[in-house]
Amino acid sequence: MNAKRKRPDTISDSVTEQERIVHEVIQSKQDMGISQQDIKREINLHSNLIAKCIKSLVSKNLIKEVKNIHSRRQKHYMSAEFEPSNEITGGAWYVEGSLDKEYINVLKEQCWRKIYGLKVATLEGIADAIKRSNVSQIELSKQQVEEIVKALVLDNEVMEVRSTGTGEFASIPVGKACYKCAGKRGYGGEPKLGALASIPCGVCPQISRCTPDGMISPITCEYYKKWLEF
Amino acid sequence: MVTQYGIKYAVNLITAHFGDLVAKVCECLLRRGPLTLQAIVRSTELTSSQVKNSLLVLIQHNCVQAFILDQTGEHGDGAKQSTQYIALFDNIIQRWRFPKFLTMVSKKLDKQCVELLEGLLQHGRLTLKQMFDRARSGQNEGDDVVQEAFVKLLNAHFIERCPASEPVLTNPTKEEEAARKRAAKSGKILEVQETLEQRVVEAAMPTEALRFLFATETEPTADGGKDKSNSSSVTLGEKRKHDAIESKAESGATDEQVVLWRANIDEFIRHLRHKACIENVRARFDDGAVIVFGAMLEATRSAEKKVKTENSVPLSLSSIYEEVIKSEEGRNITFDRVRASLVQLSCPPFVKAANESYSVDFKKIIELAQHEEVESIVLKRYGRDAYRMFRLLSNSGHLLETDKVADATFVEKKETPIILYKLWKDDYLQLEKLQIGVKQTPFQLWKVNKSTLKVHVLDEMFHAAFNLSQRVAFELEQEKELSNVLQDKRVNRLRKRLLLESSQMKLDDAIMLFHDF
Repeated sequence: MNAKRKRPDTISDSVTEQERIVHEVIQSKQDMGISQQDIKREINLHSNLIAKCIKSLVSKNLIKEVKNIHSRRQKHYMSAEFEPSNEITGGAWYVEGSLDKEYINVLKEQCWRKIYGLKVATLEGIADAIKRSNVSQIELSKQQVEEIVKALVLDNEVMEVRSTGTGEFASIPVGKACYKCAGKRGYGGEPKLGALASIPCGVCPQISRCTPDGMISPITCEYYKKWLEF
Repeated sequence: MVTQYGIKYAVNLITAHFGDLVAKVCECLLRRGPLTLQAIVRSTELTSSQVKNSLLVLIQHNCVQAFILDQTGEHGDGAKQSTQYIALFDNIIQRWRFPKFLTMVSKKLDKQCVELLEGLLQHGRLTLKQMFDRARSGQNEGDDVVQEAFVKLLNAHFIERCPASEPVLTNPTKEEEAARKRAAKSGKILEVQETLEQRVVEAAMPTEALRFLFATETEPTADGGKDKSNSSSVTLGEKRKHDAIESKAESGATDEQVVLWRANIDEFIRHLRHKACIENVRARFDDGAVIVFGAMLEATRSAEKKVKTENSVPLSLSSIYEEVIKSEEGRNITFDRVRASLVQLSCPPFVKAANESYSVDFKKIIELAQHEEVESIVLKRYGRDAYRMFRLLSNSGHLLETDKVADATFVEKKETPIILYKLWKDDYLQLEKLQIGVKQTPFQLWKVNKSTLKVHVLDEMFHAAFNLSQRVAFELEQEKELSNVLQDKRVNRLRKRLLLESSQMKLDDAIMLFHDF
């Protein structure tokens, strides 16, 4: 992936030799950046000295602190001329290093409603429908629509099918992937509860330790007791 | 494959129905595989007479089959024949389902058929004479009523002749084994390993011609009594021509005295399988599609050669339509509506179309139902994020790296491995580590192995079924001890029992889905 740069590479004359070395290490990581711990692994300088160099470079606007979704606790640094890559920001779905779940859920519901309205929809059809309704202020790329729709498939809200070119698929080329709402329930409804899942044993984290005469048994089970309370 | 809790569950059933002694012999066979009488005696430390009597009970009730293993010595030193006994796990677990079988017959046939079947289920196997005697002493019904009910049950294939008492089983020769392995390797045949239990059952089963054959002493009808479609009655004259039937007239005994009959479990399971498929269709499609689907099953049921049939016999559109309009609810359905329903049923592909004919894809329907059951467990036990991850891995069918799972399911990168580990620890996922370069942390790759997972989930179901039965027994004991409690507590106890028993029924449906269908 091409690193994003804002301005040509420059080094201030006022940096010390150690600061220059630290800056070079950070710069070499381009738009991926690097943590203080990893800097220490690459160059043989004391942690305190590295920390001092980093503080100085930040104050001189030669480097900046960025969020890395892979290691939220550790600080991550990048040379000032680069923009953080999607790999460390998480891309469009991340804000300040965390998943923007509210935004994702809103988009999921909107996509589902478009699919429900269209009965059978291709990705292009869904993307068009969202664009036309202007629900999202930000334009969604086709890839982003695909990611949302595939997440709906994983939620079992929507199913992926192949067009047969006939009947409800008449306007869609044969073999093209399209999407339909799954089942008869509305959006957000729970899938049908299975037989094992509807009894205490089905959800019990201790099932493998449960025996008829053991400490955990169906006779002494607290989950059973609650389940059978009337 | 019989799982650990499958065995516990089966033994629990046998104990409840026949007591500890019989259960001990049954458990010995279930855990150790087929054994001779002497080996059972040694293993159980019971007397020979106790073991023999227990085996007789188990054989009478179709829970054990005797067979002779013909072991030709490797150096051609004469065949060794020894009678061994094998526990029929598949039959034992059916014992819990007898009420379901009786309900089915009460809906499809009449009260007399239900009573006759009840006798067969209670006693395991009976001759026709024993059925007559039972009816006379119990319901005070005449032989002709009983025979009529018997023929109805036989025509519907709900009862069958009992299997041979000691079939001979030969081990495949080395040449046969090698040829089968070669064919499997080249992909020419699907290598389906039959279990020993299946081989014994197959060897003992009467031929298809004989299985539902009922010899009578009536005069031949105008057409010679040859209604091949469903009648199983032939005249004595016809019977003598069958090589497979011993001539009972020579010994002086009639069929009704010596031929033993029993409930045909296969047919009941087939009906229940169809019922489960219809319910699955009902959950996804409209009433019209359900009627069309049901009609297809009705039309092709008798052509199914085995219970776990993957596809129904293909039917043309007009054959399906003819079957649809036979029923009251299907009478108003038009030809076009039938066609439209068939298109509906192709997505998901419950019905496949090829060369202007349609067949039901049972395998697909059962698989989808199994996936839904497992996914429901994952959702309830581990939460929605885990549910999405599990579905991703299950649908993809191959290994996926942790970050890819996080991206596709919209879960934080740091939380994803924690959830995946939980699923892996409980054997719902497989984990492989991929090391690239010495210094780098290995990549973690995750996968759903459907075949091992199915066995694992089935064992959990047997465990849960066993637990439920233990709890039911406990609640019943409590009820007896507290028989003088106040009315409101009694109502609560009744509610508890109803909840437990309905849960048992529902769980048993799920066990059938994973084990019998």
